[in-house]
Amino acid sequence: MSLNVAQRRLLQEYRSLTNNPPEGITAGPISEDDLLHWECLIQGPEGTPFEGGVFPAELKFPNDYPHMPPSMKFLGDVFHPNVYPSGLVCISILHPPGDDPNHYETASERWSPIQSVEKILLSVMSMLAEPNDESPANVEAAKMWRERRSEYETRVKVSVRASLGL
Amino acid sequence: MEVFGDEAFNVPDSTDWLDTPLACLMPVEQAFRCHVCKDFYDSPMLTSCNHTFCSLCIRRCLSVDSKCPLCRATDQESKLRGNWALREAVEAFKDSRKALLEFARAPPTIQAAPPDLAGPSSPTKRKATEMEGAKEEDQETKRPRRSTRSTKTRASELTAAILQEEEDTTPTADPDYVDQPPDDGLVACPICLTRMKEQQVDRHLDTSCPGSPQPASKRRPTPAQTPQQPTFSSFNTRLTSQTTTQNQKPPERLPALAYSMLRDTALRKKLSELGLSTHGSRQLLEKRHKEWITLWNANCDSSRPKKRSELLRDLDEWERTVGNPGTAAGGGQQGLGLMARAQAAGAQIKDKEFDGKAWANRYGGSFGDLIKQARKGIKRQTLDGDGGENTGEGEGEKEKETETEKEDSTPAELPTPARREVESSAAPTPMDIVPPSSPPRHKQGRDAGTEHNGQAPGRDAIAEDTAMMGEQVIPGTPEKGQWETPQQQQQPPIAGDA
Repeated sequence: MSLNVAQRRLLQEYRSLTNNPPEGITAGPISEDDLLHWECLIQGPEGTPFEGGVFPAELKFPNDYPHMPPSMKFLGDVFHPNVYPSGLVCISILHPPGDDPNHYETASERWSPIQSVEKILLSVMSMLAEPNDESPANVEAAKMWRERRSEYETRVKVSVRASLGL
Repeated sequence: MEVFGDEAFNVPDSTDWLDTPLACLMPVEQAFRCHVCKDFYDSPMLTSCNHTFCSLCIRRCLSVDSKCPLCRATDQESKLRGNWALREAVEAFKDSRKALLEFARAPPTIQAAPPDLAGPSSPTKRKATEMEGAKEEDQETKRPRRSTRSTKTRASELTAAILQEEEDTTPTADPDYVDQPPDDGLVACPICLTRMKEQQVDRHLDTSCPGSPQPASKRRPTPAQTPQQPTFSSFNTRLTSQTTTQNQKPPERLPALAYSMLRDTALRKKLSELGLSTHGSRQLLEKRHKEWITLWNANCDSSRPKKRSELLRDLDEWERTVGNPGTAAGGGQQGLGLMARAQAAGAQIKDKEFDGKAWANRYGGSFGDLIKQARKGIKRQTLDGDGGENTGEGEGEKEKETETEKEDSTPAELPTPARREVESSAAPTPMDIVPPSSPPRHKQGRDAGTEHNGQAPGRDAIAEDTAMMGEQVIPGTPEKGQWETPQQQQQPPIAGDA
């Protein structure tokens, strides 16, 4: 089976992630039939209400990866200003290159082919720790985070415990 | 790597060095890898902002975004320059990588000495702690240090060897620059050093300059030029050993087109001049042309250019995956192999130059059988209701391959009106079947597309296309049968579904 650019690059990234795994992150293709569909696990960063949680997510890569970014979706419930209620993650690194029509982000924050799965997952980890409420994907979470921080933290902690089956 | 035991999936990576004593080679290897494809540099090119990428990678990036992926400085394809020294360094590293890695992974033989010493020394250590204390311990700490030092020396020896190899090959390009210009009344292009008449230089820079210094023998004089001076020949021989493709004329780079300035017909003409398919939407035509230019120009940068036919295959591959994502939409759900084959068949039939006659000859026999079987099935069906369905299923299995090659592989659910038609008429004429069934099949294609990832147009186009083909072919008598069959063919799956 010959591999195209996207598949080869993803395989390369998978090798690198297994040989040299970054802390708090596991990721890999679900099956070898489809290298464009990955599953990953992210640990909740320490010192945040997400601490102790493990969040499964799926990554879907386009055929022209790495020239276009993948999409990322949490598979469980994640109450966060930058995560849509559907689980879809909304951060600038996952947005295609070029300028944002809404002018929320500058081109420098957006996807570039030099980014990688590892960088995406690290960005998502830091996003969990520090939400960006400028362009919220979940308005309710953003409002709560801005106005009633302790209520937000309690709610997140409850859902993290629930997700762990505690 | 438990998921991918297969050799084909075993790609070399810089992290391979991590669990060896030569872990320090990881950053070295990383430096030889492109930031975009993460693979070893293939025809590395230098941008205006002094970053380096594979030729194909940076050309694709620039065609998407016109910016350097590393620093986001604006750049243009025409400003890219080959990074030849790096190309040689990468080649040398790639050549030596396997041996290096084997060496690094092999159980240490000479290095085994320090651990051996450490073995017997452990009782001494016990004694030491009991009796002599500090003195022995001092020796103890020295030993591991010695072993690490020897590893380091080895690593540096190897790196030195690599560097030596580079030195052996790199400076050969230099004599060009110190060479006395031959007295031929011509001037050298400031970039590629090709010699030409002075008034030609401007035009050459705008159009045909390959962008990097060309080895002398590559610099074929254009018809207007005088033949090369004999003084050049001595350098020719030396340079020939350096690059492998000296005897063939270097391919000319293709200029980018301002697509907004071109009409559809003009663009189609350009494509057919290049020998490419002129089929598809305007958007697809532009994408195809752009991709061809990218592939072609990147190939021009290569030290071992591919043949045109290989490039065409690359373009075809691109067309099936990236260029026409609608057809690939189902990839996530179905087996990759089957999808790829179905897509290949789709693209083949879609092609304007698709040779219907050859196809008919090749599959005429099986089509004939299919028609016979289908007719038999229908007759039996009308005779004893369910009886025909079993044989139908059998046919489906048998001719599955023909069907996949013919159509996309979505298990076709023939919409009910069409199905009734098939059942009711004992010997249906093609006109009976094809027209009523083709419009619903459109819809079906669209549905399947959206269901997978919302990119339907490509698949839709194929469906439309095949429907169109069907209509075009029906009037001709000999082809009748062939286009009748796929429709009938779809009966078995329904029988199964119903």
